[in-house]
Amino acid sequence: MTKTEWVGADVIRIDAKDKVRGVLKYMSDLSFPNMIYGAVLRSKHPHALIKKINTKRAKELDGVVTVLTHEDVPGLNGFGIAIPDQPVLCSDKVRYMGDAIALVGAESKEIAERALELIEVEYQPLPVVCDPEQAMLSSSPKVHETGNLHNHVKIERGNVEAAFKEAQVVVENTYFTPRQMHAFLEPESGVAAIDEDKNITIWCGGQHPYRDQLQVARALGMNPRKIRIVNTPTGGAFGGKDEITVQIHLALLVLHTGRPAKIVLSREESVIAGMKRHPMRIHMKTAAAADGTILANEARVVSDTGAYASLGGPVIGFAIEHSCGAYRVENVKLEGFCVYTNNGVAGAFRGFGANQVTFAVETQLDMIAEKLGMDKLEIRKRNALRSGDIAALGHQMEASVGLLRTLEAAENSRLWQLKEEFKAKPSAPHKKRGIGIACSFQGCGLGKGLPDYGAASVELLPNGQFAIGVSCPEIGQGNTTAFAQMAADYIRCSVDDIVVLSGDTGHTLDSGTSTASRSIYTGGNALKHAVQNLHNAISPIAAEILCVPEDDISFGHGKIVSKSCPDKILSFKDIAEYITARGLSIKSEGHFIWPVSETELEGYVGIPHLLYSYITQIALVEVNTLTGETEVIEAVSVPDPGKAINPQGVEGQSEGGVVMGMGYALTEDTIIKEGMTLTRNFSTYILPTSLDMPCKIETIIAEELEPSGPFGAKGIGEAVCVPISPAITNAIHDAVKVWIKQIPATPERVYTALKSREVS
Amino acid sequence: MKKAEPKHKRLISFTVNGDDIEVEISASDRLIDVLRNKLRLTGTKEGCGIGECGACTVLMDGAPVNSCLVPAFQAEGSVIETVEGLDASGKLHPLQEAFVEHTAIQCGYCTPGMLMSALALLREHPEPTREEITRAISGNLCRCTGYHQIIAAIEDASAKMKTTE
Repeated sequence: MTKTEWVGADVIRIDAKDKVRGVLKYMSDLSFPNMIYGAVLRSKHPHALIKKINTKRAKELDGVVTVLTHEDVPGLNGFGIAIPDQPVLCSDKVRYMGDAIALVGAESKEIAERALELIEVEYQPLPVVCDPEQAMLSSSPKVHETGNLHNHVKIERGNVEAAFKEAQVVVENTYFTPRQMHAFLEPESGVAAIDEDKNITIWCGGQHPYRDQLQVARALGMNPRKIRIVNTPTGGAFGGKDEITVQIHLALLVLHTGRPAKIVLSREESVIAGMKRHPMRIHMKTAAAADGTILANEARVVSDTGAYASLGGPVIGFAIEHSCGAYRVENVKLEGFCVYTNNGVAGAFRGFGANQVTFAVETQLDMIAEKLGMDKLEIRKRNALRSGDIAALGHQMEASVGLLRTLEAAENSRLWQLKEEFKAKPSAPHKKRGIGIACSFQGCGLGKGLPDYGAASVELLPNGQFAIGVSCPEIGQGNTTAFAQMAADYIRCSVDDIVVLSGDTGHTLDSGTSTASRSIYTGGNALKHAVQNLHNAISPIAAEILCVPEDDISFGHGKIVSKSCPDKILSFKDIAEYITARGLSIKSEGHFIWPVSETELEGYVGIPHLLYSYITQIALVEVNTLTGETEVIEAVSVPDPGKAINPQGVEGQSEGGVVMGMGYALTEDTIIKEGMTLTRNFSTYILPTSLDMPCKIETIIAEELEPSGPFGAKGIGEAVCVPISPAITNAIHDAVKVWIKQIPATPERVYTALKSREVS
Repeated sequence: MKKAEPKHKRLISFTVNGDDIEVEISASDRLIDVLRNKLRLTGTKEGCGIGECGACTVLMDGAPVNSCLVPAFQAEGSVIETVEGLDASGKLHPLQEAFVEHTAIQCGYCTPGMLMSALALLREHPEPTREEITRAISGNLCRCTGYHQIIAAIEDASAKMKTTE
């Protein structure tokens, strides 16, 4: 491969300057003349029948422009990425406290909110379904008529029973994981406008503009072409804006009033109505031989998807795929259940089901190592997947596998090399230090059986610069900068000459989602094809101007050169001026379809994956034995993203991921009791602050280049937040000898575990 | 069309980024509402509405405040600084430059508030310790970066401001 000029360099984010100046307009910053403000009436009960909705008094309030109910939804009254089981506006039943019943459009936000109080809804409360295990029993009240079991995954290979008998060690435990909240700083919000021909534009933070377009079109019963969605910029998403948030409500308001509309959810509303990470109960039984080789793994995973499916089905599949860790395991018995309850609603969240099972399997592995007297890193090396290995679902690791590389780099890190020294110096006598390690892998892309494709455009602008378009939105991860870097190296021009269009159905081709660690790989591959086509379009023109044959043209460093006569040189600006003078333009497209695993798992979609990113993370913690408080002192994060397009950006992902995974391990949980959300804002939902983060996070990028990736890249946005959580809980065990089986490991839980250890 | 009755309106005057402003407010308006909706200074963001996230941080008479917690009438006669004022000279403030260079920005929604907290710190302590920086931004939540690149940027800005003095 030609040496790259921009790929692999710490190129400054293309959106950085506008962001620090405060001039970048997020969707809730936009306003239009004559705009109305929307507010949503949410359910008063977690589970109830709706007997009557009376909007008369609300409609009579001065300043109210419209009050809409299910009767005003012209198309399908439902949405949902996998199945549209969530009503746009509920008609006969509510299934969680965030369910929308009515929608008010008013001259001001205050009037809209006042009007909500005047809407009368008569409910007939139903028993609340809050325990997913109970929900699966036939005696349970039904959240949906189809039953409470939304998805069931079962994979068996080999003979676990025989392996359990011959094993040197068998560990069996039950783990519980919390309902983590995405907590993007920008709440769900947006604006919409409609023109005289009833073309609707919606500016709303999101992760897949074309799917938003489809879901809005379905609900409105309109041709998708009449709907334009703009998702860039988004103020954080992490999976929580993958599903529809306020897009359809905005569309209804503008459709019914003809006026522009704005909806901004309050944080409390966002917490109650928005997506969360699936809480899971994981029962796991793992067997190993005397040398630490994992012989068998049995897992039963119950996932609480709350009131609606969204991506709960694929999440349980993904969890099962990742439930044996990034290790070779020949005998598996894995079963997953995705269950409806009245506990809010869960969906996509960075890690997509891997976080929960990784916590379980990485704890199991440490328990086995301890029983065998093995080194914690050594046992992981022994079992690590290698290229060509067969993974848990029986699929072969066909693509690049970087786990060993990350383990070796982690082993050589300062923290691991000097771990005994670090542990020997706690800050107070009643504090104990420990070091923990954990690994994981993360399927990139949507997986087998789901359409996964990308497209990109490249246009030569009249000034000689290039406009590139990829629809995967910029949600903060930095993909637009990476697209610019890759395009500049493909085109052979300066990164400063690239203008990026992003996340807009009006100006970018459908490149799919900004999820599933997929946008760099997808966008990069699509750009590669688009630039090939661009070069093919430029070559004959350059040949014409330079009076040389077309195959004599080559591209290099911002110029077009004749190979035979190197003093014949053109700039891209020369080409642009030449074609502009002739009324021509050059715009090319590139299309790309994801390769998939050869393994077919009948009855399942989204699993297995072909491509994975890999990661090893280490945590040094200090546990206060008097209070149970855990502090993460230092962390090492060793991701394998394939080629790091922007190393500084990968470091940013890595550090952010470590702190998010730390929150998951130690403090974060959206508590829902009897269907009621108790932690409604950041005063009770505890996010890590600058005072909580580790003093030092060392990121070591371990690139295992992927031949099918653009410049060898895979994706890394998700894996960075996964193994750090069990690395922390394993470190707690190293420090105070208690196994954490339920996260978050709050001071109360750690303290209780310490006390019960003393008693026993 | 039915119009809402204006109620409890009054005029207040204060300074925003060096400009004298007179604006009509309602009794229930918060400072952030006036900045964002009346003055169209949308650089200041609202993340939680209860003073927990710091995205709405502005300087009021030099001190960082959560503008979602300040009733607008309290701004009467005060000097308010927002992110839009940082590069009023036409050149990026050293803090802004450092945030750009260190990629101390991902989604960018916390950035304006983070910058204003950092600005207040550097005015009071031009050479802050790492501990002081960490404490000064502890009221500003960031969900993307894990804070390290932000702290590095503030340290760097402090060093650069010292050398240019």
